[in-house]
Amino acid sequence: MTTDRWRGNRALLAAVLAASTALSVAGCAREGGSNGAKKDSGVVHVVCGATEDWCAATTKKFSESTGVKADFVRLSSGEALARIKAGKGNAEFDVWYGGPADGYAAAGGEGLLEPYVSPNASAIPDKYKDPQGTWTGVYVGALGFCSNSELLAERGVEVPDSWADLLVPKLAKDIGIAHPSTSGTAYTTLWTQVQLAGGDEGKALDYMRKLHPNVLQYTKSGSAPGQMTARGEVAVGIIFAHDCVATMEAGFPGLKVSFPAEGTGYETGGVALVTNAKNPTSARKFIDWALTAEAQEIGPTVKAYQFPTNPTAKVSEKVLPLSGIKMVEYDAVAAGKAKSALNKRFDTEVAQAPKS
Amino acid sequence: MTTLLSDPGVTAPPEVIAPRRRRRLSAGLRVLVGICAVLVAIGAAVPLVAVLATAFAPDALPRYAEFFTSAVDLGILRNTLVLGALVGLFGTALGFLFAFVQTRLDVPGKKILHVIALMPIVSPPFAVATATVVLYGRRGVISNGLFGLEYDIYGLDGLVFVLSLSLFPVAYLGLLGMMRGLDPALEEAAMNMGASRWQIMRRVILPLLAPGLVAPFLLLFVEAIADLANPLVLGGDYTVLASRAYLAVTGEYDTTSAAVYCVILLVPSLAMYFGQRRWLSKKVRTTITGRPSGSIHLITGWSRWPVYGLALLAAAVIVSLYGTVIVGSVTKVFGVDNTLTFEYLEEVLFGVGVEAVLDTLTFAVIATPVAAILGLVIAWLVVRHLRRTAWLLDLGGTLGVAVPGTVLGIGFVLAYRPDRYIGDYLVFPSLVGGSAIAGGAMAIVVAYVVRSVPAGQRTAVGALTQLHPQIEQASTDLGASPMQTFRWVTLPLIRPALLTGLSYSFARSMTSMSTIVLLVTPETKIITSQVLSAASTGRYGVAFAYCTVLTVLVLAAFALIHLIVGGGVALQRTAKSERPKR
Repeated sequence: MTTDRWRGNRALLAAVLAASTALSVAGCAREGGSNGAKKDSGVVHVVCGATEDWCAATTKKFSESTGVKADFVRLSSGEALARIKAGKGNAEFDVWYGGPADGYAAAGGEGLLEPYVSPNASAIPDKYKDPQGTWTGVYVGALGFCSNSELLAERGVEVPDSWADLLVPKLAKDIGIAHPSTSGTAYTTLWTQVQLAGGDEGKALDYMRKLHPNVLQYTKSGSAPGQMTARGEVAVGIIFAHDCVATMEAGFPGLKVSFPAEGTGYETGGVALVTNAKNPTSARKFIDWALTAEAQEIGPTVKAYQFPTNPTAKVSEKVLPLSGIKMVEYDAVAAGKAKSALNKRFDTEVAQAPKS
Repeated sequence: MTTLLSDPGVTAPPEVIAPRRRRRLSAGLRVLVGICAVLVAIGAAVPLVAVLATAFAPDALPRYAEFFTSAVDLGILRNTLVLGALVGLFGTALGFLFAFVQTRLDVPGKKILHVIALMPIVSPPFAVATATVVLYGRRGVISNGLFGLEYDIYGLDGLVFVLSLSLFPVAYLGLLGMMRGLDPALEEAAMNMGASRWQIMRRVILPLLAPGLVAPFLLLFVEAIADLANPLVLGGDYTVLASRAYLAVTGEYDTTSAAVYCVILLVPSLAMYFGQRRWLSKKVRTTITGRPSGSIHLITGWSRWPVYGLALLAAAVIVSLYGTVIVGSVTKVFGVDNTLTFEYLEEVLFGVGVEAVLDTLTFAVIATPVAAILGLVIAWLVVRHLRRTAWLLDLGGTLGVAVPGTVLGIGFVLAYRPDRYIGDYLVFPSLVGGSAIAGGAMAIVVAYVVRSVPAGQRTAVGALTQLHPQIEQASTDLGASPMQTFRWVTLPLIRPALLTGLSYSFARSMTSMSTIVLLVTPETKIITSQVLSAASTGRYGVAFAYCTVLTVLVLAAFALIHLIVGGGVALQRTAKSERPKR
């Protein structure tokens, strides 16, 4: 008697669990909204890879200038890509704005982005846009060294001006850099080494392995090493020069920016149309507008000192001119293609290695 | 009331041998079981199944072989287990210390100590980690500025420090309820027979509390190995499974590897879980037998001072960390440029942040009662009414914490993004994303509930294990239905557990990050994701300001919950209040 009842209870619970699970998992999934007729509700949903302030200022200005409503979510490139991928077929976002082009190239390779050549794109130099029109560059930032001069003096080390300078034993655990898996900045560093080694990934990883004993921690965010340098946690941070300038602005005037003599890498911040966007017309309007001088002059007002890609945009004096810096030939498309495999190699061959 | 009691009393035949659990489920209980099962399924089981489907897809299988042959991957597994064990140990010890001071020592300032001990559940993980770096890091204001040390906090030591401090309040609250519930008669008896304080502690209190000590250890273990934010900020070279899985998702776009890491992470969690169940079933101690008969004798001798001093030291560290958060939110750059500024708070309260504050508050207020009650009901069903299915429901309820937040978040996206149709009939609308119902708010609330249920549930299981079933049996024998018994007998007795459940649910909801970071939409802004983006772009002032506002909100909510539910039940009298001192 009792056992029968117990079986009944168990069956009940199991049945309810199984049924509700089955209903939601096996139930026929249908993506709403993507079918046929492209409507446009006069609003653009932006997934934004720039800083919160910049995203807010940009969407606001866009609405003021064009009358089209815009809202945004700020996500790092990796998260943005994962979200866009999850929304394949039922797009949640219309436009991806900001964040390094490597990520855009990777997304384009998976068909997540729809090529769109804006009429305004002709003004943008060729090296800052995708030949197929998958993405177009809206800003450029060069990689540099952000040094805490006080700490360097304590260690008896000169301000580094070459990649080799970072390898001295005196800087043991005194360098901050992000993890290339989570940070576009760090991946730019890694790919720069590949370019400097003439495309030899093994040699690039060799350099990173030599650098490894000097690295305190691989941070999640690309700009975090700037903060660590400022606080004196590390002596040198490998970050985008504009992030170093922004950190100085935030109340750390003692920092110093320098660039490696061998040549440095740069990021091109992109803008692109998401495949099957719900508001394609407004999205194209946003892209057109993002390439104008007006849009590209917003950055410095919110402490973002990247270099504009539109040659007619006014450049704030706080923005470091790119002309004096030796740049490597940075192939964002190849970088995007190699990204996931190279990151994996970095993680197993470099990041996990013991520090001697 | 009288009619309820008198009517069925005649018909219900008295049970000859009182079994430990009820044998039959009434219709009301069946419905309750059904509701719990559906909620657990929606919140945890379905997303998990969605992830597992990825983890056991054919192309994922070679990854397992790779994992167990790779020294690097095995090292990560070992790191994870070591971290969990250490945090479980230190966290539980810290919780016990504070609970002991609270219930057994005659010292001043206990109320303040109580509030301080609760502070860590209040703020998002980034705050503690960041404040730790600022204060105790290589160039820390205290470690370097005061003591001239250049202590390298990055790594295992820093992680254990931060995680123990952030997680111990669960242990504290649980143990506090239990120690208040201990029948003082036992201690009195021991004392009368001439046992010393130390002997009572070792031979009476600790064995009685043992089940209560295992539960928090477990919870802390599982939470520590699932924690993501701290390893990212403070991990140094110390990689754990959760952060590795996160890297795989966000950096390598490799959901397969991430799912594999998560499955491996699930194994120790589940092992801990089953180990605890076995252990608990072997050693059941029931001490609340209705009205405790004795009085508590607070320790008044000199031996109280070293213990008290230890608790004060821990409290000072906690205060220093939260002080840094508060001071950091009103200074330009704390430790470097200490100029007073309200710029950051202004941004949060009157600028960009106000939307996030309101949204987060609304969602948390909806999720809190649901989570606390669900946790309590699940615990009650599991301990008292279900037998063979108990583990299933218990496990289901614990999933929200056993499954790392990021994985759950991905599971939500995989499972609830698309609309579900059967034929042409819409059975399950899309919950996730900007195009979903209520702008994706639904998914966030569900995520909050699922992530908060386990805390209340664990505490309630611990409390119920201590409660002798005969009390409830007496109630049912007098004719009350199981539901009535629950409402009028069980619930009042385990009120501290409900209090813990509510407080912790709210705090957890407000501070939950890893799950919802993938669920935020343009219409739903969440404080923690704002903190994450502020902290990762180096705007610590803004991050600290958000944390300050969050802390204030949660503390206010604690006060409110305390007011509504009432404090712990006073089942015992203290020697001081009852009789004049001899």
